[in-house]
Amino acid sequence: MLWVDKYRPKNLDKIMVHEEVAQNLKKLVTEQDCPHLLFYGPPGSGKKTLIMAVLRQMFGPSAEKVKLENKTWKIDAGSRTLDLELTTLSSTHHVELNPSDAGFQDRYIVQEIIKEMAKNRPIDTKGKKGFKVLVLNEVDKLSREAQHSLRRTMEKYSASCRLILCCNGSSKVTEAVRSRCLNLRINAPTNEQIIRVLEFIGKKESLQLPPGFTARIAAQSNRSLRRAILSFETCRVQQYPFTSDQVIPPMDWEQYISEIASDIMQEQSPKRLFLVRGKLYELLINCIPPVIILKRLLSELLKKLDAELKHEVCHWAAYYEHRMRLGQKAIFHIEAFVAKFMSIYKGFLIATFG
Amino acid sequence: MDMDMDMEIPLPEELEWLESNALIQEEEEEDYYYPEEEEEVQEQQQQQQKQRQSLEPPHTTQPSSSTSNSYIKSTSVADLSLAAENHINGKKRPRVDKCRSDVSSSGNETSDGKRSRVDPLPDIEHDDDWLPNLPPQEDTDSAPPVVEEKFISRFASEIEGAYMPITGPSGDRVYAKMSWAEVNDASKKLRVQGYANGLVLEPINVLMEKVEQEALSKALQTSSESPNDLILPEAPVVTEQLWVDKYAPNSFTELLSVEQTNREVLLWLKQWDSRVFGSEIRDTTDDVLSALRRHSARAQNKQSSDISYFGKKKGFSSSYQTSRHSSNLFKENDKLKSLQELWNKKSRTSSPLEQKVLLLCGPPGLGKTTLAHVAARHCGYRVVEINASDDRSSSTIEAKILDVVQMNSIMADSKPKCLVIDEIDGALGDGKGAVEVILKMVAAGKKYEAGKGNVAQEEKPGKISSKKGLKTASLSRPVICICNDLFAPALRPLRQVAKVHMFVQPTVSRVVNRLKYICNKEGFRASSIALTALAEYTDCDIRSCLNTLQFLNKKKETLNVLELDSQVVGRKDMSRSVFDVWRGVFQKRKLKHERKSMNGCSSTASDFDSLHSLISNCGDYELTMGGIHENILQRYHDPRMQKTVKCLDVLGVSDFMHQYIMRTQQMPLYVYQPTFAIAIHNLIAQIEKPNIEWPKSFHRYRTMFMEKKDILRSWNNKISPSISRHLSPECFVEDVLSPLLHILSPPTLRPVALHLLSEREKDNIAQLVDTMVSYSITYKNMKTEPLPSTPRYEGALDTLALSFEPPISDFINFEGYRSGHSGLSSAMKQILVHEVEKQKILRESIGGPRHSYGGNKENRALLGENDEAFSVKTYGVASFESMENGKDKSKHMLSKASTSTNSSTSGLNRNATTSTKGTASASKIRHTSSSNFFDRFRKFKSNDPQGSENALPKPVTLERDQRPLLFKFNEGFTNAIKRPVRIRELLL
Repeated sequence: MLWVDKYRPKNLDKIMVHEEVAQNLKKLVTEQDCPHLLFYGPPGSGKKTLIMAVLRQMFGPSAEKVKLENKTWKIDAGSRTLDLELTTLSSTHHVELNPSDAGFQDRYIVQEIIKEMAKNRPIDTKGKKGFKVLVLNEVDKLSREAQHSLRRTMEKYSASCRLILCCNGSSKVTEAVRSRCLNLRINAPTNEQIIRVLEFIGKKESLQLPPGFTARIAAQSNRSLRRAILSFETCRVQQYPFTSDQVIPPMDWEQYISEIASDIMQEQSPKRLFLVRGKLYELLINCIPPVIILKRLLSELLKKLDAELKHEVCHWAAYYEHRMRLGQKAIFHIEAFVAKFMSIYKGFLIATFG
Repeated sequence: MDMDMDMEIPLPEELEWLESNALIQEEEEEDYYYPEEEEEVQEQQQQQQKQRQSLEPPHTTQPSSSTSNSYIKSTSVADLSLAAENHINGKKRPRVDKCRSDVSSSGNETSDGKRSRVDPLPDIEHDDDWLPNLPPQEDTDSAPPVVEEKFISRFASEIEGAYMPITGPSGDRVYAKMSWAEVNDASKKLRVQGYANGLVLEPINVLMEKVEQEALSKALQTSSESPNDLILPEAPVVTEQLWVDKYAPNSFTELLSVEQTNREVLLWLKQWDSRVFGSEIRDTTDDVLSALRRHSARAQNKQSSDISYFGKKKGFSSSYQTSRHSSNLFKENDKLKSLQELWNKKSRTSSPLEQKVLLLCGPPGLGKTTLAHVAARHCGYRVVEINASDDRSSSTIEAKILDVVQMNSIMADSKPKCLVIDEIDGALGDGKGAVEVILKMVAAGKKYEAGKGNVAQEEKPGKISSKKGLKTASLSRPVICICNDLFAPALRPLRQVAKVHMFVQPTVSRVVNRLKYICNKEGFRASSIALTALAEYTDCDIRSCLNTLQFLNKKKETLNVLELDSQVVGRKDMSRSVFDVWRGVFQKRKLKHERKSMNGCSSTASDFDSLHSLISNCGDYELTMGGIHENILQRYHDPRMQKTVKCLDVLGVSDFMHQYIMRTQQMPLYVYQPTFAIAIHNLIAQIEKPNIEWPKSFHRYRTMFMEKKDILRSWNNKISPSISRHLSPECFVEDVLSPLLHILSPPTLRPVALHLLSEREKDNIAQLVDTMVSYSITYKNMKTEPLPSTPRYEGALDTLALSFEPPISDFINFEGYRSGHSGLSSAMKQILVHEVEKQKILRESIGGPRHSYGGNKENRALLGENDEAFSVKTYGVASFESMENGKDKSKHMLSKASTSTNSSTSGLNRNATTSTKGTASASKIRHTSSSNFFDRFRKFKSNDPQGSENALPKPVTLERDQRPLLFKFNEGFTNAIKRPVRIRELLL
């Protein structure tokens, strides 16, 4: 097992990063009046870990016994019947699912399946928990219609069912849903927190840590705990004992984007743009989300840029990211950003060097 | 004979239009300008009264233009013709009248030109008929020799005063005297009576009187209108018949389509003669040849093609026609001789038709159906048509075809039938039925001929063989299929067996000529410029031209060039291919005339319009935009990238809008999509031709993306839920993958046998295996290179290489990127595969309860994986293991190896639930495939030169040398193996 999984805290007491949130949650759960919860925060901050710990706190170790189910649901949607395939992860007390998998048909999942699940009271009511828990991942990717159909479900079946929603950004969750939940922002861990975790793991693994080594890993981790731990383990595998100037292997796709960035800086022409397009396609093919590509590309470009251009470039990056979210073909907009950057940069070069 | 040259004065705006469109109307423009100059020249001449030999007007239009100025005789000729066509030309009378009345006032050839355009045909016919007859009459009749001694003579010198040359159809040239008409009408009439008396059956004065009267009544009727308005409201069309039907060509010679096609269709039909009529081809050849000859003779002088239509219809002047043909014949003979030869060759050998079905295709309205009907009729068939309106299911059509194709009707005039299947591409499902039936019959015919024809040919080579074909159930009558879209999927099989003829547009001038003829017949006034514009507008679709004209005629409107867009009832909804659209976007249209730069704005406007209609007709905006995006970054000058930015912005907006439309389902908004493309066109269109590629990359991206996403998802499902629940596919690629690959291939791992490792290394391996199992990753034999970054020592051998399963290493395999990942050596991978398997089985046996809630699916997945992994396992692993497991195992292995059977798959259906059984079967499967067995040695051999792998080969070779097994491996094309094996070794 990777260290990420090995040292994942199992219950709320052992959580190292968001102690105060964990403590609050523990209080909340032990008082047996648990509202709907909405966890949001950047990836790698520990949302799922918290959710698991909360479930364990609620239901005890039986919550960890989960099974994977791939079920096809037949849904009667007006004139036609739909077949929706949905993968769920369920224990006796909770069901975890990812409704946005259904794409534009996610509305039916919310309307039919979730409602169906929420309606059924758990039979085993002689225990102390009179409700079951639905964990919905990636709520922010749900369509507006699905979110709207969610909110009534949340109210109507609150007696028998609690929802735990999990997403990256709360801005895409409608106001109505947000107001029905207890919102829990899970911050990305600070570098100090990451260092603490890494040192904890180092101690457990009985590793010799040179001073400043964990700090370097933390700095490179982009404040994602998962990434920090993984690169820590990578370093361990690559070379042990550690040296303080050891190379921390970078993410490959980030490396590739920085190559693209240097391509852009070298030459600004339609021909070069064409080349960049090919590389962007490569990234997209390999399932890197376009938003992340754009973000990373911007930061790579900003590294190499004159200070007076930075503001403008950031402005345009935001502009094109907005358009990208509105549109459908991400490549159009990323490419448009690259072209815009090229134009700005070329103009700048001509202005300064003649 | 050339006198039917058009003489018209285009209106000023028409001229403008002409100029802007730069039509092929050059000659007409010339016609327009030329005579004026000529006139002047001539007038000078007349004043000078000199010898005129040298001043023969080069332009043939002059005679007709000067008729008004000349002596009445020629006018009377025109009037004669008018009289002959009384029924339609009634309304033209006032003009004639008028022109006669102000002959003196002006030599304005406006009205005259108009008239001569209105009835050019009769003019000629009459001239031609009249010319040979006239001279004797004139000679006898003309009493006063002083004034008009000779009106027509072979020699110019015999004529006093002004004269004009007239050339007859046979090439004879005569000179006609020209006299000046007196202003006095009465004298004119007198002269008419005097000189033109004996020419027609009806006395000319009677005719003239009729004409006058009619003209008078007309003039009275239209007195309210302005006198200059030459366009008179006409009597309602008597017949309600569509012009399209009314003027459909009745004979082969009247066909409007390109003769090349016509001729080939006819030729093809004629090839059936031997089997349909059973007659010698010779018999018909002359017939057809003459028809062909006549037809191509007509094509020779295209200018006068109208004449022949007229002549044919009217039924007179047949003698003239033949004479003309004879004159043209020798010109044509050369061309036709070759055709004839080809034909003779074909008919002599009388080989069975290569293609029994004719497939005509082309855009609508060019006359495909007409051609099929006319040609079939011409060749003596009775046409049976099946079109889209008929029931075309497979069964009914088969009966029908059989009926047509194989039955001989017992009616009195038992013409053989010819089947015309119209619109075969129309209804897909039904059309297919017809295609299938035809194909079946063609195939049957082929078979028969292949079998029987050969025998017959041997016995008596000749036509008999093909005649026998009649009795089979094959196709024995010509079948002509007609379609619009040749590449319709339903026609694909038919395309291969049929003789395909693409219809091309007839030339504009031919269409215009025909239209003009019809307009004349109907008395509809339309200038040839307007007709040309109409023909171009409809892409030479004569059907829509005629319908439009008829409609306008009904509405009593004239065809106006400038208002063509609004006037014309319906424009054909032409859908062009997307490539045309892209070409239109990327290619600037060349301006026809450089000089008209001043009206640039109007040209951009028309550009806009044409592009807009082009794009919106195509319809598939997403594809259009995709293609634009794909091809946009090519060959335009953009130093500061501003154009590019704009273009991509535009594309972005179009994408955004597309998304919006899809989301809100507001389809009407699609109307605005073409404007984006036009904006791009205005930014970057170039003159030179772009080479346009189909937008592949986006599609490729989509498919590959889905593929990879599927891989991730299925893998995510395979990982035990306690881990996978924390990982979404996105964050997996983003965060986990690169470190995971590093972790899975630690460079510190020494590729040696397990027992040689230190304790700590063993721990590391155990952890690695644990990771692999928990993430359900293993190695699998792959045909491809696992990673470009791995050293290429295996590449040359093209062996199976072990790579990750699922192929997670592909996710960082960017094009043109070299990652810093170092793969493990293949020996190490093999060890790992084995260890992973062991671990899995162990876990299965231990974690029995764990799997009980894992559900069936997971179990099955695991099982499947085990099977794969076992089959993958090679002997190399086994050899390492054998050292550990002791002697009995190795003996077992050896015996297995010596037999080296391929019955490996039988081992796969083992029961994997118990570990003991699993291991037993594992040893059984170890010799799965012999190629794997030797792969190991190949790899090790090739590893030898590799410095980095020094640690590995030594123990391996040592091991190998210790073992009693000897083998020789011949590297080459086959995996040929020779090795001596002794029984003793097997029994060991």
